[in-house]
Amino acid sequence: MGLRVANITKRFRDVTAVNGLSFAVERGRILGFLGPNGAGKTTTMRVILGIIQPDEGEVAWNGRPLAYWGREFFGYLPEERGLYPKMPLDEHLIFLGRINGLSHRDARDRAAHWIDRFRLGEYRRKRIEELSKGNQQKAQVAGAIIHEPELLILDEPFSGLDPVNTGMLKEVLVEQSRAGCTVIFSSHRMDQVEELCEEIVLIHRGELVLSGNLKSIKSGMGRQILRVGVEGSRDFWRRLPGLTLLAERPDYLEFRMGRGVDPNMVLKEAMAAGQVTRFELAEPSLDQIFVERVGAGA
Amino acid sequence: MIPILIKRDFTSRVKGAPYIITTIIGILVFVGLGFAPLVMQYFAAAFSEGSLELLVVDYSGEFYPAMAEVAAEREGQSIRIEAVPPEEESAAYQRVLDEGMNGLLLVDLPDFAFLTPDAANYGQNAWVENLVNQSLTRLNARNLGLSAEEMAQLFSSADLQVRQIGGNGDEVSSEDFTSSAVLAYCMLFMIYMSLILYGNMVASGVAEEKSSRIMEVMIAKVKPTELMAGKILGIGALSLMQFAIWVAAALVTSAVRRAGWFGSSLDLGISLGSIEPSLLAWFVIFFILGFFFYASIYAAGGAVVSRVEEVNQVVTIVTMLIAAGFIAAFMSFTNPNGRLAVITSLIPFTSPMVMFARLTLGNPAPSQVAASVLLLILAVAGGAWFSGRVYRIGVLLYGKRPTLREIVRYLRA
Repeated sequence: MGLRVANITKRFRDVTAVNGLSFAVERGRILGFLGPNGAGKTTTMRVILGIIQPDEGEVAWNGRPLAYWGREFFGYLPEERGLYPKMPLDEHLIFLGRINGLSHRDARDRAAHWIDRFRLGEYRRKRIEELSKGNQQKAQVAGAIIHEPELLILDEPFSGLDPVNTGMLKEVLVEQSRAGCTVIFSSHRMDQVEELCEEIVLIHRGELVLSGNLKSIKSGMGRQILRVGVEGSRDFWRRLPGLTLLAERPDYLEFRMGRGVDPNMVLKEAMAAGQVTRFELAEPSLDQIFVERVGAGA
Repeated sequence: MIPILIKRDFTSRVKGAPYIITTIIGILVFVGLGFAPLVMQYFAAAFSEGSLELLVVDYSGEFYPAMAEVAAEREGQSIRIEAVPPEEESAAYQRVLDEGMNGLLLVDLPDFAFLTPDAANYGQNAWVENLVNQSLTRLNARNLGLSAEEMAQLFSSADLQVRQIGGNGDEVSSEDFTSSAVLAYCMLFMIYMSLILYGNMVASGVAEEKSSRIMEVMIAKVKPTELMAGKILGIGALSLMQFAIWVAAALVTSAVRRAGWFGSSLDLGISLGSIEPSLLAWFVIFFILGFFFYASIYAAGGAVVSRVEEVNQVVTIVTMLIAAGFIAAFMSFTNPNGRLAVITSLIPFTSPMVMFARLTLGNPAPSQVAASVLLLILAVAGGAWFSGRVYRIGVLLYGKRPTLREIVRYLRA
């Protein structure tokens, strides 16, 4: 049970924004939704939420089409943030709670809870336009989760937040997921995705590139990253076939190993070049996977 | 869902300065209208209580006696005239200045001249002219040898009695008629102003939702038609509440006047309090239908722009249509059952104002009233359909404003 996106295609005149995209998320998981700019992430999210209709394919939640569930089951933070600028913060959250089906009393209580949770207490009666950008964003996240949705879709939720607020939002997302909420968020910050997500979906030019459990994706790639630190000549590796230099750091070099490269051979050459201070086999980072799959230009 | 949206659109504006200020101005206007007769009487009284002091140099020798007679017959007016011999003419004007009199009248038939230090005082000049004319007429009549009776006969004028007879044979008294004409102008103007004011409020409200980007959150949760309906109804409720406040102010004013605290001579006058209930009902019907019709068009206009600043460019044409309706209604007042009035009272763009104007003054055929209302209701439905379509696509479009051709394509989609 959870979200199933089956073979959706969306065209805008002659541009195909999403092409035959399928993926699934189990209930209570956090899914990182990745892709370079213009890959079709926002369009996919809008299709999932029923804001726009796909030309082909369908979206199901717990085995039933979206229309069955009504609009209360999801919460949405769009990429283009927006609130009514003239409304006071608390009234605005109550309003968002109300249009998501809460009674006035519940909406008031939850608004108070989230204002507290996001440390917005001193701005409770302030108009939205008087809040800083970061605080507006927290307000909008609060508005998206005030009705405790089953599915939470956040488009770039961390952009524009300082480290303290980023940490606060991460905590909230983990909390929501533990409480059974399925969270899908897009981000350009791969470190945040790695930290939070069990699952990822990577799309490029509207098509699926990669999807599944982040750990198994990484281990499936093998330990193909090699970090070697040598005090001495740094040119030892040039004689070895199958090594690609990825990064040159002050204290080590990072390589991708091609097929059939024996790490022991590399170690031997390194030892010959000088004192080895570091030798490490690792899985690729999400960043590296991303760059490799969609190209460095993305 | 819609009630929540209505409430938001209502409460977020009702506390705003523009709404409060226009409401207060309206109250002042209605209270002012209610007391207008009192004010006018006050000024009229102030004028006639004033006095006219003239020196007259009469070279003809026969004019002054006639003038003295006429002045003496003017009851309730304080007129003092004094003849000055022609040889003292040069000193006479100095006397006018010294004694603060109104002026010096020089008579050398058939010529008259009025020398005054206050030539811009039209009230005074009119008074003098009137006095001179009446005196001259009397002098001429006497010279022609007419007796007083013959004179009265010569100057008798017909008193044309205009009487409007209603469909049921009852007569509408002419005093009611004047009063209702003024009222009709006021109410027509209210419809006109409110359609433009609140229509623009709808358009800029929609554009505001787009430019503040709240639209995407809302559209994910609420159907575009619900969003549009909530906005139109919320703002419509604002305007109806404003009308209700104004009518209440007018009723209180007329009650205060009837209570007689300001003297008893105030029966005639203009007050919404004397309005027929049926007229008020027509006012509400035509305002609501007209507002729904125009507001849905304004909403579509707001939906095709990206920023609030662009709203004016798009809605100007709608505002001009309303102005056309107002002008047509105004022209219909002179001939409420003429061809122009009949045709424009059937076209939905102009009918809310023209048919209302005809109902206040003329007596339009019931079949025409029914056709007008029916066409307007159909137009409201059509306008909602049209705007709902434009709105649905327009609200998520940013950047370039769509061309007319693209709008037509939305309609087919």
